Amino acid sequence: MAGNPARLVVRGLAKRYPNGRVALKGVDLCVRDGELVVILGSNGSGKSTLLRSIVRLIEPTEGEVLIDGRSIAGLGAEELRQARMACGMIFQHANLVRRRNVLANVATGALGRHRTFGSALGLLPRCELEAAHGFLKEVGLVDFAQQRAGTLSGGQQQRVAIARALAQRPRLLLADEPVASLDPESAREIMALLRRLATEDGLAVLTVLHQPDLALAYADRVIGLKDGEVVFDGKPDAISVPMVDLLYQRQAA
Amino acid sequence: MRRSSLLTLALLAGIGLFGQSLWVVDARLSELVTGVHGMADIIARASPPDFSSLPDIAWPALETLDIALFGTVCGVIMAVPFAVLAARNVTPSRPLYLFARGIIALTRAVPDLIWALLFVTAVGLGPFPGALALSVHSIGMLGRLFAELIEDMDMGAVEALTLTGAGRTQVFTHAVVPTLLPSLLGIALYRFDENLRSSLVLGFVGAGGLGFRMLTAMNLFQYREVSMLLIVTFLLVVGAEQISAGLRRLMA
Repeated sequence: MAGNPARLVVRGLAKRYPNGRVALKGVDLCVRDGELVVILGSNGSGKSTLLRSIVRLIEPTEGEVLIDGRSIAGLGAEELRQARMACGMIFQHANLVRRRNVLANVATGALGRHRTFGSALGLLPRCELEAAHGFLKEVGLVDFAQQRAGTLSGGQQQRVAIARALAQRPRLLLADEPVASLDPESAREIMALLRRLATEDGLAVLTVLHQPDLALAYADRVIGLKDGEVVFDGKPDAISVPMVDLLYQRQAA
Repeated sequence: MRRSSLLTLALLAGIGLFGQSLWVVDARLSELVTGVHGMADIIARASPPDFSSLPDIAWPALETLDIALFGTVCGVIMAVPFAVLAARNVTPSRPLYLFARGIIALTRAVPDLIWALLFVTAVGLGPFPGALALSVHSIGMLGRLFAELIEDMDMGAVEALTLTGAGRTQVFTHAVVPTLLPSLLGIALYRFDENLRSSLVLGFVGAGGLGFRMLTAMNLFQYREVSMLLIVTFLLVVGAEQISAGLRRLMA
């Protein structure tokens, strides 16, 4: 894995909000193909700002983000769209179109590749519907293809969201607290799925988590973020209890 | 002051308020009692309903339905762009927002009956001014509801699709439209019900349909036709309500 190319490189990323709050103070990190990296940190540590800056939902104040060696700062609208296609994003809530069926939701992940007149009218390319079946099989939900997305459980919806991200054919997956609103069983299922996508499909996966135990169980590497700075970057077994306490600002016993 | 005495005071004020309304509307129970005779007379003259007038009523009934249909469809078409401008989360600019809010408030505040009177003056008697009046009034009634719908929309799916690299139009047709369309159609169907009831009244100011026919029949003292017209009206309104309720259930 160490020899794999770096899919995502972040250098000196800083963000100061207009109200003066500093969310990130020069963050460096790198995620390679086939690697699952977990970011741990308490609320307000800058985790979400970091993830959202990578896809430029938030404009960073300083530093650079390289996806496939290409800086995404200063890209025009069309180039940014292209860059975002290579980078799947999963949210805390699945953010599906609840009234559409599961298959259609998955297929919408591929819209960026089919900028046709029909797709602008709300039609989905036929070949993508077939591909979407394949991605649903990959997340184990092929039997639910024709159900409305809103009728599925939280864990199932999150798996549909992952299938939608896969429909983008990304090389990099970003996940912003993907299991925060799920029960422990569904949370483990989602983490196992992300693990498999990294190991078997060679995706670079970067996910923000709140649960140190899940990080220890599934991550190749853990990055600890505190007050907008990286305070830990290493193997999960190297992270100490005092470090976890520091990240979550608990008093050491 | 204690809570109970405040309550007593509020109750007395309420009674006083209602009392002054009796005086202002000139309510006289005695006339209601002596009037019973007159009403019975009208009912006697209005029965049995004149079924032979049914073929002549068919056309005005269709007019009434179509006034409501035209008004609703045109209302929806014109309300959507105003609603987009008048929704705080998607409006392109503050002046346009205020402009759209103003149009919506104006078309709402002026009752459809007044709009009908204005349009009768402008384009003459007949169903067309009624249809125009309902279109304009519907802009305001629908525009506000549509704008609220857009403001309350869950933006999660919109953000998710934007990040897949989909274009703006694609995000609109694949995320915004499927999310909003069912509620939008539900509101439009409900508006059709209301427009149908309004279109009956609009006839009385010369805007065609069953209402106009009813006014004529009353002026000619043909009460048996009036009762027939009332039956047809009742069936139309109840039928439309049932159908639109059924359609709304289907979409939910």
